[in-house]
Amino acid sequence: MRRRVEELLQEVVNVLVVIVEACGAAVIIVGAVWAFLLFLWVGLRDRSTRNFVPVRLTLGRFLALGLEFQLAADVLKTAVAPSWEEIGQLAAIAAIRTALNYFLGKEIAEEKRQIEEDREGPSDAATDPTHHRRTGGSG
Amino acid sequence: MSSTLVAVTGAMSQVVVATAVVSGAIALAVTRRPAPALGITLDLLVAAGLLRLVGDPDWRTIAVTGTVVALRHLVSYGLRLGARSLEGAASDGGDRDSRSRPPRDLAGRLLKPAWLP
Repeated sequence: MRRRVEELLQEVVNVLVVIVEACGAAVIIVGAVWAFLLFLWVGLRDRSTRNFVPVRLTLGRFLALGLEFQLAADVLKTAVAPSWEEIGQLAAIAAIRTALNYFLGKEIAEEKRQIEEDREGPSDAATDPTHHRRTGGSG
Repeated sequence: MSSTLVAVTGAMSQVVVATAVVSGAIALAVTRRPAPALGITLDLLVAAGLLRLVGDPDWRTIAVTGTVVALRHLVSYGLRLGARSLEGAASDGGDRDSRSRPPRDLAGRLLKPAWLP
């Protein structure tokens, strides 16, 4: 009876893992394709480097969301008793995904800050007396 | 079910690699600056690497993806650091001729042999 329940639980968890991983993969694929289309649009319409930053920010958000799904799948995988080999692989994959998620979060915050600074820049330049010192401009 | 997912994500990762190369080429052609083009390419290559991790990858795939992600962050950090130092060199002491030149002149000066006038 106990073995049967364990087998059933393992099957349910395996199905859930596949579903959650598929959701994460779908988010990453949609994000990559969306970012590619935006890169094409921005590249052909506005020929400036600054306009690529929001697109990278969008891609980073999609990647972070997809990583959250994949980490959830990793957590689900630990619900059934795996072998040491599987535990090692799971730990390595979870470490990669967690580190990437952390750095993506930092990059997103930094790029958001850059965008906000770019937006505030022109109005500050006219009114803020410290703008000259911050930008290092001599004019 | 899992093998189908792995097959689909494997194929899609190839598509994402192709979009990474095309996006990088477009960014390079439009901006004529390698740093943003490389950044865009590396972002999409990371997405392709994440797709390859779906399912039950073997140790080799995990090691390759981990190395690519680490290298990508190292290169991105280097690019950001280089951009900052170039901006600083260009804007710091703007009234001095040698520092107010554009980055291309700065790179030329750095690469020029010392014995040349």
